[in-house]
Amino acid sequence: MNRFVEYQIKLFCWISGIILICTIGILLAFLLHKGFSSLNLPLIFGETRPLDGLFLKTRVVDGLFPAIVGTLLLILTSIIWAIPTGVAAGIYLAEYCNEKWKPGFNLLLDILAGIPSILIGLFGFAVSVFLHKHLSEHIYPCFLISSLALACLVLPYIIRTTEQSLVNLPFFIKTTGLALGASRLQNILLILIPYNLSRIISGIILAIGRCAEDAAVIMLTGAVAMAGIPDSLLSRYEALPFYIFYISSDYNSQEELMKGFGACIILLLICVFLFALSHILKRRAAKRFAIHI
Amino acid sequence: MKKIKIRINNLNCFYKKKPVLKDLKGEMEEKAITTIIGPSGVGKTTLLMAINRLYESIPDCRVEGKVEIKLNTKYIDIHKLPVTDLRKKVGMVFQVPNPLPMSIFKNIAFPLKLSGIKDKEYIKEKVEQALKDAFLWDEVNDRLNDSALELSGGQQQRLCIARAMIMQPEVLLLDEPTSSLDMEAALKITELLKNLKGKCTLLVVSHYTSLTKEISDNVLTLKDGCLKITENSKIVDESSVAN
Repeated sequence: MNRFVEYQIKLFCWISGIILICTIGILLAFLLHKGFSSLNLPLIFGETRPLDGLFLKTRVVDGLFPAIVGTLLLILTSIIWAIPTGVAAGIYLAEYCNEKWKPGFNLLLDILAGIPSILIGLFGFAVSVFLHKHLSEHIYPCFLISSLALACLVLPYIIRTTEQSLVNLPFFIKTTGLALGASRLQNILLILIPYNLSRIISGIILAIGRCAEDAAVIMLTGAVAMAGIPDSLLSRYEALPFYIFYISSDYNSQEELMKGFGACIILLLICVFLFALSHILKRRAAKRFAIHI
Repeated sequence: MKKIKIRINNLNCFYKKKPVLKDLKGEMEEKAITTIIGPSGVGKTTLLMAINRLYESIPDCRVEGKVEIKLNTKYIDIHKLPVTDLRKKVGMVFQVPNPLPMSIFKNIAFPLKLSGIKDKEYIKEKVEQALKDAFLWDEVNDRLNDSALELSGGQQQRLCIARAMIMQPEVLLLDEPTSSLDMEAALKITELLKNLKGKCTLLVVSHYTSLTKEISDNVLTLKDGCLKITENSKIVDESSVAN
């Protein structure tokens, strides 16, 4: 290749990288500039004493604490639904699926991955209306419906990473256990999954990020502004992405808008914390099974 | 008279619709080393995988014909045996060493774990014996809990042989066991294979004339889909074997 063209491609790659870093830097600087001053205990606990709020002795009414707890619970519950289903579906596609059916399944998975989140939210809402009509009048859009809808939203990430990590293993590793007399299931559970654990965790990290940031799904399926901490799966709840959407579109004062920026920083910190936790798990898995990441 | 361990009759193998092995016939002597030689891509590895039914893990691979293995005194069609039982009786070692991502001890004990054996003392004894048989005990006995992936290539291959031998298989299939190793490591594997002679039936695919001549009781040449007996003295040089 012409050296000048090669140089230009290299330059373009450099510029793209720098643009990405600058964009993230500017976004973080903007958020910190706007919201840092509002980051304090009253933002989280309002007028409630922090310890009373933290140990649920007093309900926090004018702080972000219920939204923070709601967000964490929502991520956790959605991931609990999505991980076993996603990993099992990924294993099915990679190991058991008939070759004739595979393109069909892959197409469906791509469609699911491409569905806008607002449609998933609408579907969740329709499900709750259906259940309200036909199953129980006590069922409304609630925490359970939100978490299931979010799980549907993130399933493709987990399915795809699990499937691809299994498919891309070298043949001699895939068949190591089989050649030693392992059944197909033993081979999957004792060899293939441990080998791929760090890659599967990568998919879960993506899923966590998506669960944490999505407002469109939860605004149609149960998140409200003043519900407090959910006391059951059928309760309504508060969540940070919904709070940020609500406050930024309907703020009454500059102070409220600043609180919205504060909520953004807290949501970002929650994501960073969860990503860090997942990365630690990933590194430990990679180290244990000696796979380079 | 030679005792026959494996009988192959009219074996055909297809990848997608392309035939790889055509009407193959052959016999392998019991408790002897039979080496299979032949040009690259002729289907030597496929033949090994047809014997322990590992071809079933390859999409679009199909095998027709009969492969019989002598168990006790009877010849049994391998397709009539449960596949996990067959593979415990017919072990396989691959071209590239493939230790599992776990400790040396757990690697060797893995087949015992698969068989549901839980007696720790028994497992310990078997692991020690398998490592001794593979000439590996002296090199690793003080670091059995270290990762098997930290061993050298030659040590990893000997570990794989020890792991395959721990269940005392009746047949051991070895697919070019020395091709990814240096000279010194290859010599150790050669010694190990010679030591296994008489303990079980060994079927070795090899491109190396020196290894073939040194260890083989019988040499079979696979060419144009046919398996022919070749006398040891007629194996001339590396190029004639490889091409």
